[in-house]
Amino acid sequence: MKNNLWNMLKKEIREMFRDKKSLSMMLIIPIMIPVLVIGMSALFESQVNKSVEEYNKIGFDYQLNDVESKIAESLQIEVSINEQKKLEQEYEKGNLDLYVTKKDHHYIIHGKDNETTSYATSLTDQFFTLYKEHLQQEYLSDNHIDPEEVVSIITIEEDIKATENFYANYIISYAFLFIIMAITVSATYPATDTTAGEKERGTLETLLTFPIKSKDIIIGKFLSVTLSSVITGLISLILTIVSLLLANNMFKIYNGVNLMLPLSSILFATIVIIAYSFLISGLCIAIASRSKTFKEAQSALTPIMFISFFPGMIAFMMKMETTTLFSMIPFLNYTLLFTDITSGNINFLHIFLMLLSTIVIIAVILSVIIRQYKSEKVLFSN
Amino acid sequence: MLKVENLKKKFIKYNSKKQKEEFYANKGISFKAKEGQIIGVLGPNGAGKTTLLRMIAGILEPTEGTIDFDGLNFQKNEIEIKKKIAYLSGNTKIYNTLSTYELLKMCADIYEVEKDKIETRIKEITETLNMNDFLYNKIENLSTGQTQRVNIARCLIHDPKYYILDEATSGLDIISSQIILEFIKKEKQKGKIILYSTHYMEEAENICDQVMMINKGELMKEGTPEQIKKETKTTNLRDAFFALIGGASNEE
Repeated sequence: MKNNLWNMLKKEIREMFRDKKSLSMMLIIPIMIPVLVIGMSALFESQVNKSVEEYNKIGFDYQLNDVESKIAESLQIEVSINEQKKLEQEYEKGNLDLYVTKKDHHYIIHGKDNETTSYATSLTDQFFTLYKEHLQQEYLSDNHIDPEEVVSIITIEEDIKATENFYANYIISYAFLFIIMAITVSATYPATDTTAGEKERGTLETLLTFPIKSKDIIIGKFLSVTLSSVITGLISLILTIVSLLLANNMFKIYNGVNLMLPLSSILFATIVIIAYSFLISGLCIAIASRSKTFKEAQSALTPIMFISFFPGMIAFMMKMETTTLFSMIPFLNYTLLFTDITSGNINFLHIFLMLLSTIVIIAVILSVIIRQYKSEKVLFSN
Repeated sequence: MLKVENLKKKFIKYNSKKQKEEFYANKGISFKAKEGQIIGVLGPNGAGKTTLLRMIAGILEPTEGTIDFDGLNFQKNEIEIKKKIAYLSGNTKIYNTLSTYELLKMCADIYEVEKDKIETRIKEITETLNMNDFLYNKIENLSTGQTQRVNIARCLIHDPKYYILDEATSGLDIISSQIILEFIKKEKQKGKIILYSTHYMEEAENICDQVMMINKGELMKEGTPEQIKKETKTTNLRDAFFALIGGASNEE
C-alpha cells in the first residue's frame, strides 16, 4: 500500500501544479517580501534622515541679539520675528514649525505635539543650550574665573559600541514574520481545494471507491499541501536574504551592520520553515475537511491567518525571549526561534522541543482526519 | 457470488420543526447475485436504490446487515473487495485536470495492474470505447457522453469482477447510452456480476436477468422480468411496478 500513498501524492501534486490559483498562491505571495523589506527600510530612512529644512522655521516674539542670531545661523534655524498672536496664527497655518515667547529671563516654547514639532523642539533645545553655555561663560569671565576650568570640571567620553541596529532587528523580524504569513496563505488554498474542493466537485466519492486506505489518502493530501508550503517558505527565505542584502547596500540606516545571515542561521531557519509548513498544512487540512464547500472552508480558515501572525507579532513587540515552555507553544515558538536564529543565538534544546511539539501536534491532527475519512460523514455530513 | 442479507440504512433528517427524525432508506434488503448475472435495481427517485448500491460499493456503512463478496466483507477485507469492484453512477465525477490517458494510467496504478500490461490494457479499452480522438485531451474539455465513456474506461482498467452501476445512462444521449448497454452485455458474457440501477424500466427489461423492485426502502418484488410480469399479470415492468405499488407513483 506504500505504492498507493505514492500514487495519491502524485495525483495531488499534479492537480496542485495544474491549478493556476494554487500555483499563484505558492509563488506570488513571497514576491511581497522584497517590497516589504525595501519599502520599510525606505520609510525608516526617511524618518531618521529628516532634513533640517523640514522643521527649522522657528518664530520669536523678541529681537535676537547678535549671539543668538549667530547660533541660529549655525543651526540653520530660519528665524521669524513677530508678536505672539501673529506667531500663533502663522503656526496654525503651518508656516512655522514652533515659536518661542520671552518674559524677562523666562522662555516658553509653544507648539502642538506632533512629529515636526518634536524635531523643531529638539532643534530649539539645542539653540538654548548653546546660548545658555555662552551666557554662563560670559558670566564666569566677568567674575574673573577661567570658563575652561569650570566647563571642563568633568569630561565625558562616549564609548558605546554598536552591538545591534534597531532598524536591522526590526526589518529582519518583520521579514521572518511575513515568511510565516506567506506559508500560511500558501497552505490554505491547496488544503481547501484538496478537501472541501474535492468534496464539492464530487471527485471525493470516486476517490473513496478506490482501493486506497484512508490513511494513504490523507497523508498524500497532507504531504502535497506541505510541499506547497515548503516551496513558498523557501522562496520567501531566499527573497528575504536577497532583499536584506539589497537593503543593506541601499540604505544608510544599516551602515556598519551586516544583514547577511550566516550559513548556520539559514540552515536552522530552513528547519523552522519546514516544521511550520508541516504544522500549518495539517491544521488547514483538518479545518477544511470538515467543511462541505470550498467557500465554507475558506471562511473557516480565515482565523488561522490571524492566529499564525499575532502570537509572533506580540512576542516581537513585547521582546519576549524563547524559554523551554515557549519553544513548545505552536505559532509562538516559530517566531521566537526565528528571532533567536537570525540574531545568532541558536539553542539546540529549543529547536528540538519545537520539532517535538510539532510532530506530536501533527500526529494528533492526522489521526483525527484519518478517522474522519474512514467515516461516511466526510461525504454526507448532512 | 455476491450475497446481501437484511441490509438496512438509517439516516437522520430534520422535519419542518427542525427536529431530528430517523428514517430508513433501506429497510432490510436481501438478495444474491451469481457470476454472469445482471441484477436490475428498479424503483422511483427516493426509493433507496442509490443508498443500497453505495453500501455495496463500500461508500456508505450499513446500519444493519451483511454484504459478502465471495466470502470477503468490508470490515475485514475492504481493500481486497474494492480492487474487485467498479462503481459508476450518473453523477460520478472524475479529475478534470487530467487527460483521459493520465486518468487511466493513474487508475491502473491505484488498482495495481501489472506494469507491463498497463499500456496494452489502455490501448484495448481506448479502442473498445472508441476514445482515440480524445485520449490525450483534458477531461474538462470533453462532452458529457465522452466523459461518461472515460468513466466506463476507468471502471474497466482493472478488469473488475463486480460492476455497480447507478443510473449510469441518466442524462446521456441515445448513442452514449447504447455504448454503456453494450459494454454491460459484454461484461456479463465474461462472467461478471453487474448491479444495474435505473428508473428506465424498458432498459432494465432488455438487459437484466433478475430484477429487484424497490419502493420506500423495501424490496417489493424480486425475480426475472418474465416472472414479475406474470405474477403481476402485466405486459411490461412499468405496469408491473404500478401494479405492485397500487397504481400511484410516489416519486419524491
